[in-house]
Amino acid sequence: MDHFPMNWGRPRNDALDAYGTYPIAQRPYNGPTDAFSAGVQHTQQPIVTGTSVLAIKYKDGIMMAADNLASYGSLARFKDIQRLHPVGTNTVIGAGGDMSDFQYIQNFLDQLMIEEFTEQDGHSLGPSEIHEYLSRVMYARRSKMNPLWNSLIVGGFKDGKRFLSYVDLLGTTYSASTLATGYGSYIAQPLLRKAVEGNEDTLTEDEAVKIIEQSMKVLYYRDARSLNKYQIAKITADGVIVSESRSAETQWSFAEGIRGYGAQTQ
Amino acid sequence: MPDMVALSRQQPQERQFNPYSENGGTILAISGADFSVIAGDTRQSEGYSIQTRYAPKVFRLTDKAVLAVNGFAADGNMFVKQVRQRLEWYRHAHAKDMPLRAIARLIQTMLYARRFFPYYVYNILGGIEDDGSGAVYSFDPVGSYERESCRAAGAAQSLVQPFLDNQIYFKNQVPQPGMTHPKHLPLGTVGDGLEMFVVLAKGSPLYGLENFDGVQEMTSTHEGERIFVVRRNLKRD
Amino acid sequence: MSIMEYNGGSVVAMVGKDCVAIASDLRLGNQALGISSNFQKIFPVTDRIFLGLPGLATDVTTLRETFRFRVNMYTIKEEREIEPETFAHLVSSTLYEPTGGFRPFIAATDLIGCLNFAKDFVVAGTASTKLYGTAEGLWEPDLDPEQLFETISQTMLNAVDRDAYSGWGVVVHVIEKDKVTTRTLKGRMD
Repeated sequence: MDHFPMNWGRPRNDALDAYGTYPIAQRPYNGPTDAFSAGVQHTQQPIVTGTSVLAIKYKDGIMMAADNLASYGSLARFKDIQRLHPVGTNTVIGAGGDMSDFQYIQNFLDQLMIEEFTEQDGHSLGPSEIHEYLSRVMYARRSKMNPLWNSLIVGGFKDGKRFLSYVDLLGTTYSASTLATGYGSYIAQPLLRKAVEGNEDTLTEDEAVKIIEQSMKVLYYRDARSLNKYQIAKITADGVIVSESRSAETQWSFAEGIRGYGAQTQ
Repeated sequence: MPDMVALSRQQPQERQFNPYSENGGTILAISGADFSVIAGDTRQSEGYSIQTRYAPKVFRLTDKAVLAVNGFAADGNMFVKQVRQRLEWYRHAHAKDMPLRAIARLIQTMLYARRFFPYYVYNILGGIEDDGSGAVYSFDPVGSYERESCRAAGAAQSLVQPFLDNQIYFKNQVPQPGMTHPKHLPLGTVGDGLEMFVVLAKGSPLYGLENFDGVQEMTSTHEGERIFVVRRNLKRD
Repeated sequence: MSIMEYNGGSVVAMVGKDCVAIASDLRLGNQALGISSNFQKIFPVTDRIFLGLPGLATDVTTLRETFRFRVNMYTIKEEREIEPETFAHLVSSTLYEPTGGFRPFIAATDLIGCLNFAKDFVVAGTASTKLYGTAEGLWEPDLDPEQLFETISQTMLNAVDRDAYSGWGVVVHVIEKDKVTTRTLKGRMD
């Protein structure tokens, strides 16, 4: 309620616009204000960022991969960051985008798992529940215009069922037998689809690792914000395994032959 | 909901987070005397990337109501969730399913409630009214709605709607002298995959639906309205 | 606003069995305001070539004269009538000339340039998406002239009824080996 009678029934501000020429009159705002509003920071852009995450379905479960780099703009700032995070015993989430937002997500998910554990009701959250929870959080945050700036892949295996789904800063969700975030959705996704679609139930672990390795290598060659140091996560009936960091064998000798970009004399 | 009045008072910001996206796809519904058909493709995309080839946007709400949502997928899914929750509350309060025209008004109210931060979604509701007639309701993102017999929405709306005008409403067609236009016809549409719900009123004949390719009946009560779903794979380009 | 929407207008052409048909609306507008309901956008080039030119009306008029001039020059020089395929290339090369005003026609050029090569139908103008939908649904191979007339008429009428910038009547030319039939259709005037 506007408690200033001088404002009532006035279609325009006479001082600024005596003849009502300019669009719609602005009346002064006398409602409550948040004195601290200038001190509240909403995420307007990601700062320390991770690049692609890849994930595929295979015979025994889900396989995911992400490199260990957290960039600060074009600077390769942190080279030992883990972007695959196990949640409980059946689920892994992989994240691209803002790494501080991701670590916040890790934190509240771990908290959630502890709360659920302490219930001791014989239930535990599986991948589909975690994905649903995450998608609600992500959508709620975007609706407050204060998003968690990430693209997340949730992979899991529970009760004999594979689970693979995506959620991002807008709250958009989808699932498919191959998923990739960021640059990976342009470069790796076609390779993954070609190798996996239709073969989800026959692909062995070794074959799956090969497909992932090949895709991570291509990404390392083409994505300037990537690192040749990555981890692979497996989620199967036996639980979650996140590998030690590994690297792909690369071949750069062809670069010698490239002319026209650098400071060659010939 | 963010305080939009407060936002407008702020200084212009350098860059603003855009809370919306467009996920493509097309939906379509046609109703006849005692049936209703609601279809949508199942591709979800953003820009030139296909996110998935199977993300349904046609949802069964009750035994005689089906809702198709098209636009921003996150808003669409959340909207369907909330409509379903309201229908469940109704069921618990009144021990029956909400009638179709009431669902339509519910949807308009829910959409208009978000008038100043809209769901970026075009809705098409299809089903059977209490009087047994097939019905289609279409909505704009902020809740303005009407009952029609056919409607297309989404990426291919401008391709499909004039065709529907011609084939369903018989626009620009004159019947032979002494004849009238026929009642209904089969249809198909475009996309990655297709999901089509057919809702038949009580005691309605099957119209040859039992011989349809890829058809599956979804209802358990053979006494009342029957819902069929038809799934098709379309071109994978 | 694109200059294609300044005056509005649409054209569609279809192939039949030993015949082709071309149709356009008759509206000339100034954006949403209707100006004329008898603005021809299809022009005879020879006895069996018709050119449809939707778009900015001033360019339509200019191009029509340009093509008349160029076709006359061709006829005098070659001492024979121009072939449809040759004319399509003439259209194509004329419109590709980097003259400021002509540039926006490049997209339309491809469509019109394709006219002779497409085996089904081509569309252009402000109702092009609607024309694609109706044409895709109604057209089928090997239509005889009467069937083709019905098909192109329904395609055009239903498409322009959903386009705010096209309509106000339709004209259809059906071109056969030895004759051209021109009909003006009554369409919605709202």
